[in-house]
Amino acid sequence: MYVSPIREPLIKGNKDYSQVTRDIMAPMAGKPSKYWYMGMALAGAAALMGAWASYETVFNGIGTWGLNKTIGWAWDITNFVWWVGIGHAGTFISAILLLFRQKWRTSINRSAEAMTLIAIACAGFFPLIHMGRLLLGFFIFPYPNTRDLWVNFNSPLLWDVFAITTYFLVSLVFWYVGLIPDIGTVRDKAKNKIRKAIYGFLSFGWTGSARHWSRHETISLVLAGLAAPLVLSVHTIVSFDFATSVIPGWHTTIFPPYFVSGAIFSGFAMVLTLLIVARKALNLEDYITINHIESMNKIIILTGSIVGIAYLTEFFIAWYSGVEYEQYAFFNRAFGPYAWAYWIMMTCNVITPQLFWFKKIRTSLIATFIISIFVNIGMWFERFVIVVTSLHRDYLPSSWSMYKPTLVEVGLYIGTLGLFFTLFLLFIRIFPVIAIAEVKSVLKSSGEHQKHAHHE
Amino acid sequence: MEKKYYKSLEELRIAPDEFQNGEMLGDKKSLLLMEQELKQSTGPNRRDFLKLFGFTVASAAVAASCEQPVRKAIPFLIQPEEVTPGKANYYASTFYDGNDYCSILVKVRDGRPIKIEGNTLSAVTGGGTSARTQASVLDLYDNARYREPLNQGQETSWEQIDAEIMNKLGEISGRGGRIVLLSPTLISPSTKAAVDLFKNRYPGTELVQYDTTSASAILKANELSFGKAFIPAYHFDKADVIIGFDADFLGTWLSPVEFTKQYVSKRKLHEGNKAMSRHIHFESGMSLTGSNADKRIVIKPSQQKAYVAQLLLALSGSAAENPEIIKIAEELSTAKGRSLVVSNSQDAETQLMINAINELLGNYGNTLLTDVHLKVRQADDAAMTKLTEEMAQGVVDGIILYDVNPSYDFPDREKWVAGLEKTSLKITFNSVKSETSETANYVCPDHHYLESWNDFEVKTGHYSLAQPAIRHIFNTRQAQESLLKWAGSEKDFRTFIQEYWQQNIYQTDLTGFVSFWNKCVHDGVYVSEKKETPVPALDISAASAIASTNSVIVADDSYQLDLYYNVSVGSGKHANNPWLQELPDPVTKICWDNYAAISQKLADEMGLEDESLITINKLGPFPVVIQPGQESRTVSVALGYGREKGGKSAVGVGVNAYPLMGFAHGSRQLQTIGASIEKVNGKFRLARTQTHHSMEGRQIVRETTLAAYLDNPKSGNEIRDEIKKHLKTIYPKKEYAGLHWGMAIDLNSCIGCNACIVACSAENNVPVVGKEQVLMAREMHWIRIDRYYTGDPENPELIRQPVMCQHCDNAPCENVCPVAATTHSDEGINQMAYNRCIGTRYCNNNCPYKVRRFNFFDYTNADALPGNLYDTEEMTVDLRKLVLNPDVTTRAKGVIEKCSFCIQRIQDKKLKAKIENRPLADGEVITACAQACPSQAIVFGNLNDKESKVSLMFADERNYHVLEELHVLPSVGYLTKVKNTNV
Amino acid sequence: MSKFISAYYHDEEDLIKGVRQIRNQGIEPADVRTPFPVHGLDKAMGMKRSRLTRVAFAGGAIGGLIGFFFQAWVFTVAYPINFGGKPFFAVPSFMPVTFEMTVLFAAFSMVIAFFIHNKLGPGAKTIIYDEQVTDDRFQILIEADDLDEPEQQRIEKALKEAGAQGIQLTS
Repeated sequence: MYVSPIREPLIKGNKDYSQVTRDIMAPMAGKPSKYWYMGMALAGAAALMGAWASYETVFNGIGTWGLNKTIGWAWDITNFVWWVGIGHAGTFISAILLLFRQKWRTSINRSAEAMTLIAIACAGFFPLIHMGRLLLGFFIFPYPNTRDLWVNFNSPLLWDVFAITTYFLVSLVFWYVGLIPDIGTVRDKAKNKIRKAIYGFLSFGWTGSARHWSRHETISLVLAGLAAPLVLSVHTIVSFDFATSVIPGWHTTIFPPYFVSGAIFSGFAMVLTLLIVARKALNLEDYITINHIESMNKIIILTGSIVGIAYLTEFFIAWYSGVEYEQYAFFNRAFGPYAWAYWIMMTCNVITPQLFWFKKIRTSLIATFIISIFVNIGMWFERFVIVVTSLHRDYLPSSWSMYKPTLVEVGLYIGTLGLFFTLFLLFIRIFPVIAIAEVKSVLKSSGEHQKHAHHE
Repeated sequence: MEKKYYKSLEELRIAPDEFQNGEMLGDKKSLLLMEQELKQSTGPNRRDFLKLFGFTVASAAVAASCEQPVRKAIPFLIQPEEVTPGKANYYASTFYDGNDYCSILVKVRDGRPIKIEGNTLSAVTGGGTSARTQASVLDLYDNARYREPLNQGQETSWEQIDAEIMNKLGEISGRGGRIVLLSPTLISPSTKAAVDLFKNRYPGTELVQYDTTSASAILKANELSFGKAFIPAYHFDKADVIIGFDADFLGTWLSPVEFTKQYVSKRKLHEGNKAMSRHIHFESGMSLTGSNADKRIVIKPSQQKAYVAQLLLALSGSAAENPEIIKIAEELSTAKGRSLVVSNSQDAETQLMINAINELLGNYGNTLLTDVHLKVRQADDAAMTKLTEEMAQGVVDGIILYDVNPSYDFPDREKWVAGLEKTSLKITFNSVKSETSETANYVCPDHHYLESWNDFEVKTGHYSLAQPAIRHIFNTRQAQESLLKWAGSEKDFRTFIQEYWQQNIYQTDLTGFVSFWNKCVHDGVYVSEKKETPVPALDISAASAIASTNSVIVADDSYQLDLYYNVSVGSGKHANNPWLQELPDPVTKICWDNYAAISQKLADEMGLEDESLITINKLGPFPVVIQPGQESRTVSVALGYGREKGGKSAVGVGVNAYPLMGFAHGSRQLQTIGASIEKVNGKFRLARTQTHHSMEGRQIVRETTLAAYLDNPKSGNEIRDEIKKHLKTIYPKKEYAGLHWGMAIDLNSCIGCNACIVACSAENNVPVVGKEQVLMAREMHWIRIDRYYTGDPENPELIRQPVMCQHCDNAPCENVCPVAATTHSDEGINQMAYNRCIGTRYCNNNCPYKVRRFNFFDYTNADALPGNLYDTEEMTVDLRKLVLNPDVTTRAKGVIEKCSFCIQRIQDKKLKAKIENRPLADGEVITACAQACPSQAIVFGNLNDKESKVSLMFADERNYHVLEELHVLPSVGYLTKVKNTNV
Repeated sequence: MSKFISAYYHDEEDLIKGVRQIRNQGIEPADVRTPFPVHGLDKAMGMKRSRLTRVAFAGGAIGGLIGFFFQAWVFTVAYPINFGGKPFFAVPSFMPVTFEMTVLFAAFSMVIAFFIHNKLGPGAKTIIYDEQVTDDRFQILIEADDLDEPEQQRIEKALKEAGAQGIQLTS
């Protein structure tokens, strides 16, 4: 196979197959480090705060939040959209990059997908907790009932239910199918009986048979083909929550593309945040190399710029439409009482990513890490700006009002962050963070690998 | 629970014997007992209470109608007349609280009065109501009511207390001591007769009338002018030019409901009416009336007299220098006999000049009647002051306090309280705990007016009756009956009234008294030919003399004080009424507090901003509100707040401003000159339901001037055709076969009195949320009155718009509900299925009018999870729950609610029409807001019927829909506001 | 319990060569097991293209139809309700759910088919003849139940010539 001379190898170090196996499985072996425990403790504490906040919300009412007669959504839906966005990177990487035959994805897709699943779980939590009557939340599913009443298929919220569920299930399957061969590996490397038994069960009896492999390849490809439009559809539909409404600042046709790129933007930022830490902690520097970081940064520039253009377009259209309500809504964003949020968003999402035009910055771990955090913050504020500043001053000035979050709302957000990291930390202990088989399959073509290194 | 349930029935089984001893069945005790038991008992008990309650009332009715004891606890085993379970009955009655009068119908459901409606038969109030009238039904279920007669604070029986009181009274009058009966203006002929009986029995008894909101200056002026202290009947409906000097006649002055009706009849421009009255108002603070005026002139309280003087001079031909006055004089002289000049000045001289002005304009006999008197507010302030003096000297031995509360609302409280302590015998009829009644030795609690028989003569010859709509809930007794008893008469007051009417009011006719009486009770009102004795012609020389010496308008720089009564708690008597407390002020939109309204100028001078604190004459601190249109150095403060005793919602709300009242020219002064104002550190948060006051140049409330309207009826509304052109849709418009409900609101008629808001709350069980929640912008009102300022902040124009659910045919809220909890009915109504709602609040977000309300907590105790309950105003205690309308479910925590176009009323009338096998008539279905409205600004009906009133209004060129450009097709239309500013 | 002749390689390219060689000598490997998908191996073994894609298509089609017609039925037949003046048969509103159902059914039908077809699944009974296979060994398995001595030797010889290592009889 042809290896482009200018391109850096994807996997560093002179490795053979079993070396790869050992490296990648290393983090799973033995006792976890004390850093892992500290991380767990921290994340767990945050999750507990979330539990408390959930209790407050359900048993004392949504009144414990800062909402009012004018502003019916604030942090809840902001967090929901933010998490869904973050949940976009994984499937994007493994599906779309697979279709584009981007080999470098192999080192990051596994962890990215895991992150996706966890993020979607966190996202799904908010539409539930924001219900005034959570205990009757099941009304949202179209199930046969004595009232012969179904659901309202006109409602974007209902579309969300289907979109998010489908996205979660398909991503889960996609991820697990890819995981099976590696679980097989773990099983065969396992020393003690129980471990072997458990992984044996989870491996679905994987043998590595050539026939299985060829079918495995096929479905991976088809699943990718299905997941690709799915990724795009999910945030499109989430954006419908706003785009199909009548509220100035929400009712915007640009939302679908703008939300999708925003989602990938934030998703990659989160992947970076996690991997820059993970590669060091799990010493996988040879597998997740600077090139990976750089490639992701390039995608961040792209999506970041799209988002930036979207912001400007919104303003242009607001002015161009000649609709006074629309015009006011956007004027109010930039100069109203919530202008601070707007400018945080602008700086974090539009300006900082542009620094990646400099190779120095986009190949520097520290810089990347910091900027990735910035992007995460910026994207959170983007959703906050859209949700709250549009609502707090809409059509009739008589109803205009302000919003201030309460500790309960903050608690819910922190809670999901805690849940997120808890589950991720568990994941790196239970499953190989990098797709072993996939890495092996590209090792030859793009690793610094001497043929038959191990032949005598 | 079970056990108690039967125990109560035991109580009832005793009833028959008591019945034999002339006692009514369903002994009053039993009711109390049940109530107390249920109080103690845990768990859900409202239902049981109602069951028993319903039964007692039923049995009472049975006993009353057919003379047969009920032996079994099966309600309506023997059906009492007129009572059908689940069907409401309406009884004509009258609301009079010592200040305001209103003829009403009481809606009674299963033995419970649950709603007040205007009585359209009344020639005075003609079906209109006020916020206070609407709210008065809640006072029936007031937790602070006395439940037993009290002797020195100890519960006792009527027999004992009567015995004691009678011998004390006898002892006092025996030794020629003085007994004073202190009451607000009595407009009840029979009550006066009863008082006379009492006087005869106890010589040395004197009736002193004491009005918190008094008109004694007017009385005195008329005494000087006509030799008789009276208030004439005003006719704003005959006046083409109205000049008001600080008289809030649409809100609180003398007879607001009546005046509103008259006033608005001259302001309506649809139905072919092309003329409109012109209203110019002089005032210092922004009042409800001033905010409705065509021209509002800001003056200092100290200047009123001079302005009036100049007007008088100008009209009597001599020169006046003030240009405004000259113009006004011209306008007035073009409307001789068709104008009206009124003033609320507490200075007799000023009122004298007002009389002269009206005389010069030939208004007497036209817009002012001297042969028909308005009988409210007859009290002479001087008398009360005198009484206080005497009591302080200790020359009063006994005082009977009837429906008064001077310990709270008399300016010189210390003196009054001191005097009261010197008085040995203190008897009170107050039915609710108050500052005064708590100091009495004998509390003989009066019935609530809905439990009482009474009669009234509000205007000469205009009689009305009050009949009990429920058997008294507690062991109370009507004040008049107490008086009669102590006067040695065994008559109950009903018979007494009947006899009085037979002798004094009934003119012999063919039908006979019984049918006459029954008709009066049924209608609630009766108008006789009776006229007052004519008065001599008015000599204006005295007034002219005063005018010539007082005509200099002085730009006095001292701080001035302008006290006023607002449309909610008024004098403070109703302070324990959460509905009124949560009612946003028509001007400032603030509820749950009073405050000091100051001008921007003054704020800048003293470095004040909204919610910072000041003291006035060392009293306070009062939170500050910067009020556009406020006179630069005048501070306006509402009275009626800061109660110290009398129920949870009353106590500690706001600051008592009565001590700020002055006393001069023989009457208590609302306006005083030379007040001292000091800034105090700190802030106090005020609950405001509207925080943004500009329309941002949006076409939300459309207005025009009369001239513009006359040459183009579309003026102010031109944009509508433009909008209509742009309305496009990919979907075919839904057609509505039979009924298509719609509502039209005439912005010209709406004066912003807030009656509709309370009516809506009462009809639809809209929860009270309390100050904290209002501060968080979570009030639940289904209908609100938006208020915007336009123009110069020194003296802005103020414009109002009632907003409720617009019932859009393309409702944005319906599309977004995931669970189909809000849908569109075949009659074009946007309906909420509370049980289906899971509370995503998406509909609320997507409502362009923001009329949907979310139950952030369980405000009604309807939710399963106890932690959700949020009730700061005791609205969910058993007693208060009795006011709930059983036709409307109470909403649990976590669901959205909103205006339903009073769907329960629609269904009721539809059913009626169906049973009678006929189509619904136009105007048959009336929503609560429309029913309550004293100016009939709200018209409800079927849009498919092209002849219906609402259709005609929709066809009017002035009609428009708010945010029509969104193509949500609202079913609520508004008629452009027209101001008569073109002179 | 069947016996196999097992042999392994260290490198996928040798494996492919080896497989070709022995197949030319008419020896059909029962199975070839590799740690990762080896490109070209399926050709070398003469495998046909998988038909799982058709399953996916069928599944997707069914999902889509169910999605669309269920919504249409609910809105027009089961319980027609007026939502914001929209027509009952509001096709645009049905699109999102229809799409999601399509994807969901396609994905799941295919994956389920995959497991059934491969007899894989939770607790599936399979035998691992060489645990290195999931690490770095490429294993060829040839059925040896009814082989006589010479035949067996011929195969082993062929394997040796094809560069295979660790040739042995496993069961």
